[in-house]
Amino acid sequence: MKVSIIGLEISVILLGIALLLVDLWVPARYRKGLGYLAVLGLGVILVSSFSMNASEAHYAFGGMYVLDQLALFFKRFFLLTAIIVLLISIEFSGRIRTGLTEYFSLMLFGLAGMMFAASSHHFALLFVSAELITVTFYVLVSFQRREIPSLEAGVKYLVLSALSSGLLVYGIALVFGAAQTLDFQALSEKAGQLGNDPLFLVGMFFVVAGLGFKIAAFPFHVWAPDVYQGAPIPTTAFLAVGSKAAGFALLMRLFFSAVPDFVVQWDLLLLILAAVTILYGNLCALPQQNLKRLLSYSSIAHAGYLLMGIAALSQSGSSAVLYYLAGYLFAVLAAFAVVTVVSNQVGAEDIASLAGLNRRGPLLAAAMTLAMVSLTGIPPLAGFFGKFLLLKAVLEQGAATTAHTGYYWLAGAAIVGVVISIYYYFGIIRTIFWSKDPEDLSPIPVSLPLRATLCVCLFGMLYLGIFPDYPLDMATEAVRALTF
Amino acid sequence: MIGLEDYLTVSAILFSIGVVGVVMRRNLFIILMSLELILNAANLAMVAFSRFSNNIDGQMMVFFIITVAAAEVAVGLALLVALYRRRQTAYTEDLTNMKL
Repeated sequence: MKVSIIGLEISVILLGIALLLVDLWVPARYRKGLGYLAVLGLGVILVSSFSMNASEAHYAFGGMYVLDQLALFFKRFFLLTAIIVLLISIEFSGRIRTGLTEYFSLMLFGLAGMMFAASSHHFALLFVSAELITVTFYVLVSFQRREIPSLEAGVKYLVLSALSSGLLVYGIALVFGAAQTLDFQALSEKAGQLGNDPLFLVGMFFVVAGLGFKIAAFPFHVWAPDVYQGAPIPTTAFLAVGSKAAGFALLMRLFFSAVPDFVVQWDLLLLILAAVTILYGNLCALPQQNLKRLLSYSSIAHAGYLLMGIAALSQSGSSAVLYYLAGYLFAVLAAFAVVTVVSNQVGAEDIASLAGLNRRGPLLAAAMTLAMVSLTGIPPLAGFFGKFLLLKAVLEQGAATTAHTGYYWLAGAAIVGVVISIYYYFGIIRTIFWSKDPEDLSPIPVSLPLRATLCVCLFGMLYLGIFPDYPLDMATEAVRALTF
Repeated sequence: MIGLEDYLTVSAILFSIGVVGVVMRRNLFIILMSLELILNAANLAMVAFSRFSNNIDGQMMVFFIITVAAAEVAVGLALLVALYRRRQTAYTEDLTNMKL
């Protein structure tokens, strides 16, 4: 085994530890600078990841850890997410009273967990990386520990998330009992015959429940609205993009490298899960007034759209999931960046606080509008092409399936979901441009790094929507590592 | 002779007590203890399967679970203490700050 295989994760962890050490010699008023140091470090790591070759899979730790195209895709995804989230946290730093450096380095440790999750090829690594993400998020969610909403969100996340890891672990124990192995490679050879073993079925059910919590799919979503609303904004952004994508990375590894022969029996279950999640998330988002709470319900709905790609159980479905995640990253992070700036200035997180934004900060208004349009799925932005790919994969699978018509119903549910979502996404846009003028119309200053962040997000949304060929090739290349 | 089924029965009972505890009890400290019970139920099942199939993988997994459980409790207790300092409560029904 060569150390260079896990080089990216090691560099991220070393960067986190280095930040904590450097913090000892840095006076409090310069601590914000450490955030830029972290961004710079992650940028270097992201660039160096392009020099890695994973055209054939490399294994480490006796097959527990795999480095292939899929892992590399997710690692780059998480690095980019962390860079943008760190820039948002620097903007937010005025509202974190103590331990700013710890906040940055905890994000890096969580990022390392996500990167390990992308490579997990054994239940032990699946569990440990999932927990590394969760335990760092306990702290990140409750970081404003003098503010009651943040603490409350932290406690709720702790209880529900620990319950879900309990289910996950118990499920792993039962799967181990049935299959006598924890390794994905060995499991994939046995999974086909285990389909009728009740021990294995219950175990897999618990494991999927545990991972369903991570992606906030119905009915494991109950934590999401409160936690998203109470947590500091950068944490919410990281939860909505990083933690959710890590859940999907684990789910894809589990379904399509550990138990590909077994999961075909569960197509109906996955279909129903996806359809209900889409409808539930979109319907519950309708009456929301708090922006973070609204985005949390919208993120539940997006977990449903992404589950469509998983439920399609096909190569095109999985590559659509990757493509959709990339578009989702830019849109959601742009929205949270705008929420951060606005709530710093206005002191509220309501939709009403966006009133007159087109005159107070044109860039902010443009970013928010395009993010909402992309999340709805209107051409020519990333969200449209992602949804198009997902629907296409589902319909293809529907045409190939003769046993039931569930895939067509799922496609119908997704379209109904999009129509419902137009109402609340455009409600935000209407507030920005056409609400009654607020009393305060002073311009909202946007710092240069955040301006750059917003421009990157805008560019990402437009690029993925207008020139989908290259990213789609990358996504297709990445899912070649999986079996269907 | 105590067989695999006996261990699994105990493990299932522990798991059920844990889940019922998390769902029914209102005191956060008891909920935290119930969560530990769930993890230990899994540990017991894992060790039993491992012992009766002569496959050491399960016991290796148990070490990871114990470590993670310790980390979880450390952070969890710190969080509950912070909450208690701020709100003077350890009951779930008082956590109602965020409602639609």
